[in-house]
Amino acid sequence: MTNKVCVIGAGSTRYGKLDESIIEIALDASKDAINSAGITPDDIQAGYISNVFGVSDKQVHMAPVIMSNLGIPYVPGLTIESACGSGSIMFREAYANVAAGFYDCVLALGVEKITHTGTIQSTTLFSYCSDFFYEGGSGASFPGLFASIARSYMATHKASEEDLAHVAVKNHENGMLNPKAHVRKEITIDDVLKSPVVASPLKLYDCCPFSDGASAIILCNEAFAKKSSRQYVEVIGSGRGASPAAVQGRNDITTIPSTVNAANQAYKMAGITPKDIDFAEVHDCFTIAELIDIEDLGFFQKGTAAHAVREGATRRNGEIPINPSGGLKSKGHPIGATGVGQVAEVFEQFTGKAGERTVKNAEIALTHNFGATGASAAVHVFKKVE
Amino acid sequence: MSSQPNQQQQTLGSRQKFMTSANKGKILSNKCLKCGHIMVGTIIYCERCHGNELQSIELEGSGSVVTYTIQAVAPEGFNEVGKPYAWVVMRIDNTSLKVSGILIGIKSPADLPLGSKVKVESFDPKYGLKLQKPS
Repeated sequence: MTNKVCVIGAGSTRYGKLDESIIEIALDASKDAINSAGITPDDIQAGYISNVFGVSDKQVHMAPVIMSNLGIPYVPGLTIESACGSGSIMFREAYANVAAGFYDCVLALGVEKITHTGTIQSTTLFSYCSDFFYEGGSGASFPGLFASIARSYMATHKASEEDLAHVAVKNHENGMLNPKAHVRKEITIDDVLKSPVVASPLKLYDCCPFSDGASAIILCNEAFAKKSSRQYVEVIGSGRGASPAAVQGRNDITTIPSTVNAANQAYKMAGITPKDIDFAEVHDCFTIAELIDIEDLGFFQKGTAAHAVREGATRRNGEIPINPSGGLKSKGHPIGATGVGQVAEVFEQFTGKAGERTVKNAEIALTHNFGATGASAAVHVFKKVE
Repeated sequence: MSSQPNQQQQTLGSRQKFMTSANKGKILSNKCLKCGHIMVGTIIYCERCHGNELQSIELEGSGSVVTYTIQAVAPEGFNEVGKPYAWVVMRIDNTSLKVSGILIGIKSPADLPLGSKVKVESFDPKYGLKLQKPS
């Protein structure tokens, strides 16, 4: 029997192009989370930090540097990398350690700094997250990998470029209500369709931006949460999955096995089905990813996501609101922080801090975040605690 | 199709061997002697039955396009190709095995309908697995 695990605090920097160093933005988000939880650094018994490209800002072995600058140099920290899924996969480790009883209270922090490297170098660094021998090494970029997935999906399931555009328009609509979002700009279907091709068939507005940013969560056991007398959120399901690293190794290119497996574990643990989820933050690095995600997570049958998105089922007032934060598309995608930022969104939604973008009457939420083209993934389910 | 027993060489330089085969226009695969599953030659245990007795088989590097993209921004080093290129996932003929590589000289989707025939040209030290359209 494991301990119940709760989120008692969350903090985030703005996502976008940030001038401060990677360590400074990590500290900003940590301080926000510590204040939000009403604790002091002294309460933190371990730090879990997710990051991918610290080396580009001249810092690896990041955890001890962050713990030292939080004034707790003797508290152990650990840095975890799992490409764009680093945040959720790190969160799972933080969760597991509290659930197992090793710690009462931990910091789960995700951080990324990439915009200083410029488009070509960022594109190159990201390509190292692929199965490089077969993918990046023969010229594939990440937009290119997802574009090849999109072409396959569109040929198999009759979805159109306009259907993909609906995902972008909806996420930008949500991002307009998020003061910390990277790209706060309302767009139309026509804007998406007329934007320059990045990797055919994906266009500029099908792609998330390169973002800097940090998000932090304070996780603790139930006794600690109750003692804090703050509003908190309970983690009721957690799952991880894997897929063949290279797209070429997958039988069906239009589904991501890691998502399916992680979601099934999380649903089973929470004792719920996809129908019980009131909203979800999913990994929409590209519009095609969101279509595949919402099928793989069990919200819609295979091949029907395009129809659902066209009909508005995933809008904030729809049947299952997807990415009320604006998602990676609009909120931004600082890859080490993204999965943590999703949990921060759930915390804000469930503790009355999400303002105009609040999903009404929501009690159970899901976060989904994957690495690379879904070679790694984690899914978590959260319950509002009154 | 040629085959050879492959015991101790299995873990040693599997990528190097893949490249050598590609330079002959072939795709190095590993066939599981226990269950018969065929996988790409850099996988060293059977991904279906987890057996470790694998036989190297060089498959003819000809197949058809499963999916692809043409990118506006290429990773570093790939602008030097000098021409637009497609990044392609191809299925090797008469197998379910897929491999991916670069196909230089593809300007627009009209140049490469899905299902188009393609074949392995070589393994380029700079550009990875190079594909070409059959002449």
